[in-house]
Amino acid sequence: MIGFGLLAIALVASAIFVVTAKKPVYSVVGLLVNFIALAITYLTLHAEFLAVMQIVVYSGAILILFVFVIALLSSGVKPFAQGPDKAPRILVPALVCGTVGVVAVIIASMQTRFAPEAIYGLVGQADVFGSVSDFGSALFHHHLLPFEVTAFVLMVAIIGVVLLAGDDVPPQRRRKRAREPIARPDREPIAR
Amino acid sequence: MNAPVEAYIALSSILFFIGIVGVIARRNPLIQLMSVELLFNSANLALVTFARTWGNNVGHIFAFLVITVAAAEAAIGLAIVAIVFRKTTFVDVDEVATLKG
Amino acid sequence: MTHPLLILIWLGPLVGAMLLWTFGPQLRTLAGPIASALVGVSFLAAVSEWSSATLIDGAMQGVREPLFAWLPQFAFGLQWDRISLVWTLIITGVGFLIHVYSIGYMSGERAFARFFAYLNFFVFAMLTLVLSDNVVGLLVGWGLVGLASYLLIGYYIERPSAVAASRKAFVINVVGDVGILFAVFVIVAKVGAIGYGDVFGKLAAFTPAELFIVCLALFIGAAAKSAQVPLHTWLPDAMEGPTPVSALIHAATMVTAGVYLIARFAPLWSASSDARMLAGSIGALTALTGAILGCAQWDIKRILAYSTMSQIGYMIMGVGVGAYDAGILHFLTHAFFKAQLFLGAGIIIHNLGNEQDVRKMGGLRKQMPFAFSAMLIGVCAICGVPGFSGFFSKDAVLTETLAHGHPVMWLVGVITAGLTAYYMSRMLYVTFFGAYRGNIDPSELGMRHPELAGTAASPDHHPEADDHGHAHAPAWLMSGPVALLMIPSTLIGWLAFGGDASPWSRYFAPVFPADVPVAGTPPDWVTSALVLALIVAGAGVAYLRYGNARALVDAIPRLRTEAVRMPAVLVNAFYFDSAIDALFVKPAQAVGRWFGSVVDPHVIDAGVREASISANWLGHLFRSFETGLVRAYALTIAFGVACFAIYYVVIGVAR
Repeated sequence: MIGFGLLAIALVASAIFVVTAKKPVYSVVGLLVNFIALAITYLTLHAEFLAVMQIVVYSGAILILFVFVIALLSSGVKPFAQGPDKAPRILVPALVCGTVGVVAVIIASMQTRFAPEAIYGLVGQADVFGSVSDFGSALFHHHLLPFEVTAFVLMVAIIGVVLLAGDDVPPQRRRKRAREPIARPDREPIAR
Repeated sequence: MNAPVEAYIALSSILFFIGIVGVIARRNPLIQLMSVELLFNSANLALVTFARTWGNNVGHIFAFLVITVAAAEAAIGLAIVAIVFRKTTFVDVDEVATLKG
Repeated sequence: MTHPLLILIWLGPLVGAMLLWTFGPQLRTLAGPIASALVGVSFLAAVSEWSSATLIDGAMQGVREPLFAWLPQFAFGLQWDRISLVWTLIITGVGFLIHVYSIGYMSGERAFARFFAYLNFFVFAMLTLVLSDNVVGLLVGWGLVGLASYLLIGYYIERPSAVAASRKAFVINVVGDVGILFAVFVIVAKVGAIGYGDVFGKLAAFTPAELFIVCLALFIGAAAKSAQVPLHTWLPDAMEGPTPVSALIHAATMVTAGVYLIARFAPLWSASSDARMLAGSIGALTALTGAILGCAQWDIKRILAYSTMSQIGYMIMGVGVGAYDAGILHFLTHAFFKAQLFLGAGIIIHNLGNEQDVRKMGGLRKQMPFAFSAMLIGVCAICGVPGFSGFFSKDAVLTETLAHGHPVMWLVGVITAGLTAYYMSRMLYVTFFGAYRGNIDPSELGMRHPELAGTAASPDHHPEADDHGHAHAPAWLMSGPVALLMIPSTLIGWLAFGGDASPWSRYFAPVFPADVPVAGTPPDWVTSALVLALIVAGAGVAYLRYGNARALVDAIPRLRTEAVRMPAVLVNAFYFDSAIDALFVKPAQAVGRWFGSVVDPHVIDAGVREASISANWLGHLFRSFETGLVRAYALTIAFGVACFAIYYVVIGVAR
């Protein structure tokens, strides 16, 4: 119970820190703490493979991606400048909705009858619920199709990113123009 | 489990709504995307909790797929942010309001 | 179809009307002969079907030609019995003569074909009325006849007075239509079927009060169509139509539709003494009113119009009290002599270049001898000079009225006969005797509104002051029919010679119940003698005022004095028009104006405006959601999620 309590505090605190940090880099660090706490939580829930997956994919790949983009967008005269707030006082309704939602979910979950807890074996044994072999056999036997589709989704994502964020000059003219810097603060803004 | 199911669900929902408030209340698109990652993670927590409750590892599979898709989505989202804010001095979501009608 | 000739009789004029409506401008002068020929064919077909009308087959009289049955109780068809035979012969016979006359009278009119289309349509409508074997067909014919009258009175569409007159006629007819409609509703509700046979078979289902209500409603319709008091005000104004129209519709046929109605519904009327009292009284009152007002008119057509009203009063009185064959006999004779009078007046008007005021006539006896003889015969017939047709029919009506126990109505009728002689003689003397006054200044003659005296010529009719026929139409087209009409005007009354043994009485014996005289009735010759005495008296007074040598010499000052000193009550026709105007027309116009100024802009327009405003407002409301801000959209998503969560609390997940 204490373990759960500590983990819960860590998760919530880091989440709040992510949301309220001044600089994005701080938010990234907060997010990292959040992911690690979450991985440990998965371990308490007998989801070993998923815990590792959380660390490897989320903190190892996605957060790095975030860091890169932050670096990309900060290379300018005035990084992360922000215009006037066009939806002031939007926080209050958001907090209200959030609170109501949380309370509602908690009440709903308290009204639900769940099955009595099963006792599983020690963490780390093979073929036990939540072990890697259990997960793997389920994934490749029963859920092969979603797995393959996910691979497809990732491929589409890669193609999309390449198309979106590649050079914005058409191929013919590439030879004529020199390579341009990525951030062009002197051009007029896109959305007005 | 160290705590009753309701506690895990409560935790998941708290994280979820923190993520939502983050999307609403922050104007920096990068932080909004990070809040979206929080949303995904809260959902994953709920999935794993229920997998443990019912003893069914479909929850784990689903959570794995969610992670994968979240990765793809983060990539695309960041690419869009990079494009949209490539040419501006501002990094402000409020400026991208061309759908205003 | 067992009797194809009936269909021919009925639909022939309709075919003519359709043809002339469609191809009028192309047919032009051919329209007249085509229309006349179709009506003539109907007449010949009616004559050839005489025997089937007089057929008696047990309780069934005449023949029926079923047309179609919408429901078993709502079967439409044609009924060809003795009553409809008489009316059909008059409609098609006199109609044919008037069609031929119109070819001459209306020649040179721009809308020549349209006139004949309307005339044919009228003949068709009137035939629908008299040939139907059910109350709904009667109603249809009733309405169509009203429409035909409207179209024909307003034939001179460029003239505002004609248009107003046609509108007035139509509106008053609609009042009558409401009455008949109500009666039809009650009949159908009680009887459950529409055929005359069914209705008369189920008379026992009506209580006396209901019977009276039905008869009253029917009588309202008859009064409107037949110009009885108080719904008579349209008839004098209807003289705005061309003279053949006045002859056919407002003398011979349409205005007798009320008489036909009462004759057809004889079983109903015979069963309700209150209804008979009502009909007889109104008829007598109308006869008297028409005669009084006829004494005060200066327009030759108006004189004849009021005389029509008066004579129809006689007819209504006759059929109203139960003397059906007497009333129908008067209808028969009146059709001939009134048509003759109108057509003769038409010859005069046509030859004088559309001059209608008798004060500007005079001395036409030498200039138009044929017209004079025609009018003289007509006047003798209408007054009831012994030997002429009117004598038989008028005396029949009066004696039968007395025999049915209505001495007051009889007395009114007798007095009216005297007045009739007076004003018709007055018309004769002022028109045909003395010196011609056409060139006298109108104010000398006491004409206050000379421009209204005659009806103004239609814009493309060229008035000619000479008294010879126009070169573009042979005179025989107009004088031929008039000459032909002289014969029945004189002689047809002899059909009723001989009381109950006469051909006329025997003809109608199977149709109507026999007349049983009330005890104590004086013999018939008393009535005849009294009427003859009053005729002589009336004609004598007219002679003294207008016809003797001194009166003829002093014609102009006498006419002027009479015109100037005419009592206002007579000039305004007993203020009927003013009363109707004040009671109904002005309030209706005020209501209309109120609607136009208050309801229309503030309620209806406001409602439409409000609809558009609220649509606008709704649009603005939804537009305010489209901020384009991602964060606002995210808030709505959060709100949705919260709602979902609440749903799960309230409804609950699976337990």
